[in-house]
Amino acid sequence: MFNGLQYVLNFEWLTGVGMSTSKNIFLILFVVIGILVLLIPKDYIYEGVENRRWWHNLKLWAIGDLAFIFITYYIF
Amino acid sequence: MLGGIDYFVVIVYMAGIMLLGLYFKKFIHSSQDYFLAGRMMPFWAIGMSIVVSDIGAQDFVAVSGQAYRFGIAVGNFDWIGSVPAMLLAAFIFVPYFWKAGLYTIPEYLGKRYNDAVRVIASVNWIIFFAFNLGIIFWASALVLKTLMGWDTWFSIIVTAIVVGIYTLFGGLTAVVMTDVVQMIIMFIGGAAVVFLGFYNVGGWDGLLEKMSAMGPDYQNRFNLILPVDTKTPFPWTGILFGLTFVMANAYMIGNQAVVQRCLSAKNEWHAKASMIWGAFLKMFIPILVLFPGMIASVTHPGLEDGDGAFPTLIGTLLPPGLGGLLFAALLAGLMSSIDSMLNSTATLWTKDIYQRFLKKQAPDRHYLFVGRVATLVLLVLGVITSPISSRYEGIYVAVQTYLSFFQGPTFSVLLLGIFWRRTTQWGGLSGLVGGLIVSLLLHIYSAKLFTISDPFLYISWWSFVAGFIITIVVSLFTAPHPYERLQGFVYRLDKPKINL
Repeated sequence: MFNGLQYVLNFEWLTGVGMSTSKNIFLILFVVIGILVLLIPKDYIYEGVENRRWWHNLKLWAIGDLAFIFITYYIF
Repeated sequence: MLGGIDYFVVIVYMAGIMLLGLYFKKFIHSSQDYFLAGRMMPFWAIGMSIVVSDIGAQDFVAVSGQAYRFGIAVGNFDWIGSVPAMLLAAFIFVPYFWKAGLYTIPEYLGKRYNDAVRVIASVNWIIFFAFNLGIIFWASALVLKTLMGWDTWFSIIVTAIVVGIYTLFGGLTAVVMTDVVQMIIMFIGGAAVVFLGFYNVGGWDGLLEKMSAMGPDYQNRFNLILPVDTKTPFPWTGILFGLTFVMANAYMIGNQAVVQRCLSAKNEWHAKASMIWGAFLKMFIPILVLFPGMIASVTHPGLEDGDGAFPTLIGTLLPPGLGGLLFAALLAGLMSSIDSMLNSTATLWTKDIYQRFLKKQAPDRHYLFVGRVATLVLLVLGVITSPISSRYEGIYVAVQTYLSFFQGPTFSVLLLGIFWRRTTQWGGLSGLVGGLIVSLLLHIYSAKLFTISDPFLYISWWSFVAGFIITIVVSLFTAPHPYERLQGFVYRLDKPKINL
């Protein structure tokens, strides 16, 4: 019984996934998060701001964060 | 060992931080001032405070120790283990918590589910913070002993007095504003070590070259993504499922010490921005704590205990004068972690337990007094329990293992609570308790069930899955909550705005 559980719990069923594929999974994850951020309604982003400026757009901040981490994982 | 000028720097630093913290005592007139800084904090201060609170002297020691043993893969905790989760917190969870005027995360769970869920979550965090305080005290004392030659108990008591005084009187305002100064000092001190370390090994190319020459065991040291069959605790599956999907989110969204700062923001935009700004700063942390460990693996190979890598490196690396700066940086990390835990635990106790169950209708000044007493009691408890951590082999892993017990189940009920309106109070309670039981069983049988060392990432993932499924199944078999009860606590189910 423990052998079957070990197979599932340790993700041994993913052993066949190559290192380059697994790296791409991480990179795709960052891209998907970026797309979701871009889909957030504008008014929701600016909630609480009285005089809107371009730098109040938190989508830009988030995309900056994601770009940084994407490059890090792309390199290493 | 430090010289005369170094001692001067350290003493000036400690006295300065204590006085700065005490300055904010004059702004404390109510329990909201004490626990939420009067809801007046700007995003930049909150973001800096989140980052510095999350990293302490124990991280310099333990993360460097992990990097010494396993390489750059430990950086996953501050990169993918922070950024996606902080964005999710910024855009979904924090705005709802802030708009609801909450003091604690368990308070949200209590309003979304019931008091039992609130108490379980709150008590879990109180226990974690209380034990973690001791771990931080002890880890820091190890560093101070190596650097300064100070007696362990002397180090613990001196830091406890300095932090205790300003946290006790200045509340969250003092905690956040001293954190701002502490983050700047910590970044400068940490960067000095990294710069000197790289200079010592011949720069980036020198590090790569020297590590490559150390044999096949060191070939994976520059890989963030490690294979499923790695013997380290960081296979990519654990990083993706356990860390990215569960532990990171549970930590950034369910951690009282982190979210409480966002709840002190002056408006909703500042609350959101604080998390995104914090995520940006957080990405620099691995550079400060990870590379010293990797450099030490080249300059001092064969250390018996990886946790000794950082102290050994700085003991041989720093010229006179810089020792004091680094020591101040370590103290900054230590004090910012301790003050956060003290204030957050006092908030959890006062708001979730004392005010809710023990004395409901007391004047506000009474709760302010209770918060201060709780802070003092916790400080003493942290000092007394500090030697317990010496029984663990790796300090950082010990903390993560404890966290993995309840991170998964807590995040499952938080996630379903905010995204699925059909989740019921009994579903949430069953999911939380059931998930905790699964965590415990997986931990007890970990040697038989898991093939990697320290499988805390896998335990957190599978306990999350268990909590998630149990919550859904029980919710479907119990009566749904009325629409009015869910307003303001479920995504896209805002309370109606009242126009006066």
